[in-house]
Amino acid sequence: MRKRLGAAIAVLVQAYPIALVLSGAFAVAVIAAASTVAHGPALVAGIERKALAARDAAGGRGIEPRFVTASGALTRHAQLAGGERLDDALRARVAGAIARVPGVAGVSWLSAATGQGAPAERDKADSLHCQQDVEAILKVRTIRFSEASAAIDPASDALLDEVASALRPCLGSIIAVTGHTDAAGDEGANLALSRARAETVRWALVARGIPADGLRASGKGSQAPLEGLTPTDPANRRIEFSVIRKMPIRPTPVDTPGPG
Amino acid sequence: MPLWLEMQVLMLLTYAAGLGLGWLVFKRKG
Repeated sequence: MRKRLGAAIAVLVQAYPIALVLSGAFAVAVIAAASTVAHGPALVAGIERKALAARDAAGGRGIEPRFVTASGALTRHAQLAGGERLDDALRARVAGAIARVPGVAGVSWLSAATGQGAPAERDKADSLHCQQDVEAILKVRTIRFSEASAAIDPASDALLDEVASALRPCLGSIIAVTGHTDAAGDEGANLALSRARAETVRWALVARGIPADGLRASGKGSQAPLEGLTPTDPANRRIEFSVIRKMPIRPTPVDTPGPG
Repeated sequence: MPLWLEMQVLMLLTYAAGLGLGWLVFKRKG
């Protein structure tokens, strides 16, 4: 029986080799289509669930990954939308976290606001790199101030030199300098102090050659304590840097924010 | 890339690879 079947196949192969190969390919294509219909939705749902978990872990609530192409077909390539109010560094981090989920083929942003295409993506990566450098410098040392004053302790001069040189590759970016305090004392005074300290750091960086109009200083008082710390912990006194986005520097007549 | 296209490409490539291997074995056996 097996011998006869083998012989029949040999005869068919010799007589119609191309037709056989093509009909095999057609059968495979039909099986592939059927299995996409049968298993695709469950597969994509599983990937989406993991992507949402990764998004939440990265702190990107508001960003929606969509696993549907423009024509409405299911895909493993996530298109990210929303989260416009989150800063670009966080958005990039969330996109990275989703891209690393097993099964996700890639990510891209749907909105034009964040910039599309390779150059914008590269700029974003550069900005992020800059910020990571600064964070690495400030992880082990902090910019110190005199007690209850916005004057920078002279011991922190060298540290500011390092921060300035780490920010230099990001020239052309908007760099936010945010001051924080602990919850000791009057909140109004804390807010003013954190703002004044951020301003001092901003000007210290300007003195080191960072353009003033790319630097934004603000203070949050004790409103944003470090994760895992109580608001009264002195370790909450700090200056944070975030590289917001890459943009051409446009000289403005007034580069300091108005009152309020 | 839509999932259905990915599936088609993957399975047809697998089919082609199997066909190639089968042809090699068949050729060796004579």
